[in-house]
Amino acid sequence: MVQINLPENSKLKKGNYFKDKTGSKNLRKVNIYRWDPSTGDSPRIDTYEVDMDNCPSKVLDILNKIKNEIDPTIAYRRSCAHGVCGSCAMNMDGKNGLACTTSHSEISGDIDIFPLPHLKVKKDLIGDLDGLYKQYQSIEPWLKSNSKSESTEIIQSKKDREKLDGAYECIMCACCSTSCPSYWWNGDKYLGPAVLLQAYRWIIDSRDEDRKERLKKVADELKLYRCHTIMNCTSACPKGLNPAKAIAEIKKMLVKA
Amino acid sequence: MENKKPLSPHIQIYRWHISSLVSITHRITGIINIIGITFVCIWVSLLLLGENNYGIINFYLNSFFGKFLIIGLTWSFSFQILSESRHLIMDLGFGFDPKTTNITGLFVIIGSIIFTIIFYLIGKNFI
Repeated sequence: MVQINLPENSKLKKGNYFKDKTGSKNLRKVNIYRWDPSTGDSPRIDTYEVDMDNCPSKVLDILNKIKNEIDPTIAYRRSCAHGVCGSCAMNMDGKNGLACTTSHSEISGDIDIFPLPHLKVKKDLIGDLDGLYKQYQSIEPWLKSNSKSESTEIIQSKKDREKLDGAYECIMCACCSTSCPSYWWNGDKYLGPAVLLQAYRWIIDSRDEDRKERLKKVADELKLYRCHTIMNCTSACPKGLNPAKAIAEIKKMLVKA
Repeated sequence: MENKKPLSPHIQIYRWHISSLVSITHRITGIINIIGITFVCIWVSLLLLGENNYGIINFYLNSFFGKFLIIGLTWSFSFQILSESRHLIMDLGFGFDPKTTNITGLFVIIGSIIFTIIFYLIGKNFI
């Protein structure tokens, strides 16, 4: 159901203000969403003054700097710091992206950092992605080949391999799915751009022999056709992929099938 | 514990861009058009009932609010037609590049205003 307003326990409060202690002249204000599960408080926005003279170029560097030098209680996911693992997906300046590949120089004014939209928050910037992973599991994202895969190599032509370009690079960071208003309102049923892009990746794989079944499974009013080409997914994807196009291709295949 | 977890902010913080704006306006104008078409139907059926009715409606539509309503409906129809064509092209699998969607979206917004002006001028017998 469409629910525009946040529930009562999710309404934001003004939080603490961390004044700069380094005496630097090049300061930037960073507003960060905070929620601590150990207290019953509602979420708050903490503001940090960060010394930009001694800070590398990405938003993740700011977060690391805050955690190391200002406030060690802040929680966020991060791992590779090179846009490969997809751990540090969050909402920066109103747009989803990876903190490790987003430059803070691209953002004008104060830097607002929120967790990925419309998720249950576990702590601070960490959202609960269990629902999305369950949906990912439901499309059975592995090669299904009954005939010869046990004994022989399955050969794929260069041309067939090229069809996977733009689909296999997905790192499942969930930037696209959590940017999609359709997914916000119908996230329990609609699969969302990330999972549908993966569904597409297996449907068009020439080695897969379960194409028809896969198409049949995904052809559902709620699972697939909640995509209204809002295009938030494509504009959010940090890897430059196009989930909206993949969903349109699945729809086209269903018309032809 | 599960219910205690807050929901992270969504539409409150997410930045709008041309494509999402066109999408939501498409829905809103769709609803307005349904009401508008019903209104036009009632207007036409009242014509069948005689001259008096025509006079009353004509009086209201010539008021300031009536003119606003007509021009608003003209815009809403124009927007819907252009936006629908954009969706049709997308359903054929074209125009999914982020740059292209912004250009076609902008085309829909500007086009709907131009259409409204053209329809207005035609209505006024200027063209």
